[in-house]
Amino acid sequence: MISKTAIEHLQQRLGTANVAFEKEDLLVLGYDSTPGVHHLPEVAVYPTSSEGVLAAMEIARSEGLPIVPRGSGTGLSGGSVPVKGGMVICLNRMNRILEIDEENLAATCEAGVITLDLFNATAAKGLFYPPDPGSQKISTLGGNVMEDAGGLRGLKYGVTRDYVMALQCVLPDGSLLTTGGKSVKDVAGYSFKDLLVGSEGTLGIITAVTVKLIPPPQARRTFLAYFDDIRTAGEAVSKIIAAKIIPSTMEIMDRATINCVEDYVRIGLPRQMAALLLIEVDGHPAQVEEEAAGVEKILKAVKAAEIHVAKDAEEAGQLAAARRTALSALARVSPTTLLEDATVPRSMLAETFAEIERLTAKYQLKVGTFGHAGDGNLHPTVLCDERNQEEMARAHAFYDDLYTQVLAWGGTVSGEHGIGLAKKEYLARQIGAGGVKVMRRIKDAFDPAGILNPGKIFDEHDPCTQTHVEEGFRVSH
Amino acid sequence: MYRTKEKLGNFTAEDAPQYEDVLQCMRCGFCLPTCPTFALTGRERSSPRGRVALARAVAEQKLEFTEAVKEEAFFCLDCRACTTACPSGVRAGEVMEVCRSQSHQQLPPPHLGKSFRAFILQRMLPDPDLLEKSMLPARLYQRLGIQWLVRHSKALKLGPAWMEKVEGMLPQLAAPLRPQLPELIPARGEKRGKVGFFLGCVMTLLYPGVSRQSVRVLAHQGFDVLTPQATRCCGAPHLSEGDRQTARELALFNLELFLRQDVDYIVTDCAGCGASLKEYEEILEGLAEHDRLAAFRAKIRDVSEFLAEVGLRTAGLTAVAKTVTYHEPCHLCHAQGISRQPRELLRRIPGVELREMAEASWCCGSAATWGLKFSAASQQVLDRKLNNVSQTGADILVTANPGCQLQLAWGVRQAGLKQEVLHLMELLGAATPE
Ligand SMILES: Cc1cc2nc3c(=O)[nH]c(=O)nc-3n(C[C@H](O)[C@H](O)[C@H](O)COP(=O)(O)OP(=O)(O)OC[C@H]3O[C@@H](n4cnc5c(N)ncnc54)[C@H](O)[C@@H]3O)c2cc1C
Ligand code: SF4
Ligand code: SF4
Repeated sequence: MISKTAIEHLQQRLGTANVAFEKEDLLVLGYDSTPGVHHLPEVAVYPTSSEGVLAAMEIARSEGLPIVPRGSGTGLSGGSVPVKGGMVICLNRMNRILEIDEENLAATCEAGVITLDLFNATAAKGLFYPPDPGSQKISTLGGNVMEDAGGLRGLKYGVTRDYVMALQCVLPDGSLLTTGGKSVKDVAGYSFKDLLVGSEGTLGIITAVTVKLIPPPQARRTFLAYFDDIRTAGEAVSKIIAAKIIPSTMEIMDRATINCVEDYVRIGLPRQMAALLLIEVDGHPAQVEEEAAGVEKILKAVKAAEIHVAKDAEEAGQLAAARRTALSALARVSPTTLLEDATVPRSMLAETFAEIERLTAKYQLKVGTFGHAGDGNLHPTVLCDERNQEEMARAHAFYDDLYTQVLAWGGTVSGEHGIGLAKKEYLARQIGAGGVKVMRRIKDAFDPAGILNPGKIFDEHDPCTQTHVEEGFRVSH
Repeated sequence: MYRTKEKLGNFTAEDAPQYEDVLQCMRCGFCLPTCPTFALTGRERSSPRGRVALARAVAEQKLEFTEAVKEEAFFCLDCRACTTACPSGVRAGEVMEVCRSQSHQQLPPPHLGKSFRAFILQRMLPDPDLLEKSMLPARLYQRLGIQWLVRHSKALKLGPAWMEKVEGMLPQLAAPLRPQLPELIPARGEKRGKVGFFLGCVMTLLYPGVSRQSVRVLAHQGFDVLTPQATRCCGAPHLSEGDRQTARELALFNLELFLRQDVDYIVTDCAGCGASLKEYEEILEGLAEHDRLAAFRAKIRDVSEFLAEVGLRTAGLTAVAKTVTYHEPCHLCHAQGISRQPRELLRRIPGVELREMAEASWCCGSAATWGLKFSAASQQVLDRKLNNVSQTGADILVTANPGCQLQLAWGVRQAGLKQEVLHLMELLGAATPE
């Protein structure tokens, strides 16, 4: 139990309005967007500066409290769920954009800035910050960095990692580390920055982020292609890539997803189609012309049922927005949406769809699939009810089989949502006990006391005792 | 949704949220950026996702129905922006509305507050005659110039804070409209049908001029307009205060009254009334025949929804050469999903130039009595709105709900902005020749 004096101490250092310990405040910080996980912290703080973060860290350490950083809680692997209780540090009140540096094409902001706010602020200056996770209206930059979030434009423009230039970070020992900078080249020692990106809040707390900006594309064209068979859609994606065309976006939705999204947005998506692809090409106008023609040719060759070109930017934006609601819209159908993050080499897309179909039938489940098809990153989502134990067991078996296959194809168990709580077991399967061991050593180097976000990515006990784990380790990227 | 008879966790049996409704939230957070109270506090429990989680915790007996739950239920503006935003179909505002009624069962307020509230909700509002008489002193007070004196002395500073605000917000009062309005106003020009007009309490008392325009416009548009004198309060204030019982009694009365009339549609110019009438189907479920409820529901239209649907006749309208910006009442855009139609009408009034403001569908901070109970927070919400209004530079600020109109007119005056604040029907009325 946290002591009364510790709470008073926190209130003094951070301001009373920034410390919460009523049960009602704690209850609502016990979850993120991952289904089925809920654990209460003992206290929550809302620092408004890095000094506040440092103070909270210091007090938590002296109290022996585990510390869990939290952005907006949109994570899909349980990263910000305080499994061991302790203190949740909410970063959403640190939401100032500190600088947009047009000379160096860089922007610096506090960790709690909402992704879309940064995008809009840079766009207002004629610049472009490409990473755009489906949750961009809600998620924070800090959360994006810690999950290495991808997005709809990931195919051409890459993921958050590709844009992080510098990080300001409070380490578990109470020191403030700045790593990276505005220089575009930097090989001075180990790249802490790269280690921190994707570390899911287990190595340090990000207080500020500097990201790279690029000039926006001058032109874009958006297609919507419908298919009678989802495998044909997969084939189309593989063929477009094989034709050396890299659209900025190639997103897929299957029939179940189309219907749920349409129920929400009501923009006239065709409910009877087996799948749709949202494809966008962008860049120099001449290049857009050429690539669009190439895309259209391939879509026709694989016999897409229908091809629709968005008439203007507004319609294109509407389509992308509709796609972003896919996961939440699927939640209309059932109380629990168990989403996965299976990612395969792109040549295996059609096979992956076939495998998902086979397993759906085998385990008698309701599944909606959508995702970043162009990246080979799919989100097959089991629509179930967490109160039904038997159904949940089938869902688990479904993923078990699927991941076995995905790994056999050289894929990964997480394309963008991280391991968190949800996929620890699968991580060990992918990188082996040796891989987990090295990761744990890195964690120990940053956080010898093990107080920062404990229980995430890997268990605290020795992973070698786990079943399924093969020796040796495989590099997956 | 709400008439459970079985006890759900730590909710009492009467008017508890349904478990399915709180379980539906998958916690994606899409609702967060649309919630004014979350924007104010950045505190998860004052967000739709957090509020639903609190209700779920009560349902799962992880939490008693505590003071803090009650606080959140009343701190929620019930603006329903979260309902519009939620892809999963969760209705956090409505869950909180039900929690308000739970709070009266579980955490009754002190006696004095309780009887005052009961007097207003159960005695005054359901009785139109009494309500009209009660406004007399307020009118006399304005006529005799006491208002001027009070406003200019510091006398009001001594009373409770909300009194001063109410005083400042009151528009120049005219006699209530209800007793003056003929029951039937015949259609002008080629007749297109017959509508029942639902005259709301606030409209007849505070904005009689607006509804006068509404019925005139409707008649001009070719509709016989029937305004039943017996109409009672729609029940919205009761739902908002958590008195669901009185709301149901009023709903039953109005349902029967209007179903007896021979009208094609039931039209209202008050977004709050419209939203409430459209929800009769739900609050009366099991208390009235399903077919009657469905028939009633099928007839309800907001006046802008109605005119857009039947097509505005623009021949003979006089031009209003003004720039106009439009504030969307929450109970129109979020509760009824009517967003396109008022703009369509505005664009069709000759001479009017519509200038969109940023965040047009963000609440103005009025929200029934919320603006009085949380006046500092309300001011912040209002300031955000006024900033967006003044950015447009428009001559006129148009809205479509009396609560918004009171709040905005007051805000514009306080801030010294130039905009005239009008109901959409006043603008349309100005374009409609006598
Ligand atoms: C509807 C929906 C769509 C989504 N679409 C995508 C998508 O397209 N692509 C994608 O990659 N993800 C997607 N996600 C997942 C999620 O939005 C991302 O992982 C996002 O980056 C999380 O940001 P957050 O601010 O909500 O972080 P949180 O969920 O609060 O935290 C995520 C992790 O980061 C840690 N953390 C947060 N802030 C900090 C900080 N300042 N310092 C240190 N650690 C911190 C937390 O401890 C946790 O481990 C989606 C989620 C939803 C609900
Ligand atoms: S209420 Fe809807 S939008 Fe908000 S978190 Fe729940 S599911 Fe998402
Ligand atoms: S109804 Fe409005 S104030 Fe209430 S939770 Fe929803 S968005 Fe927030």
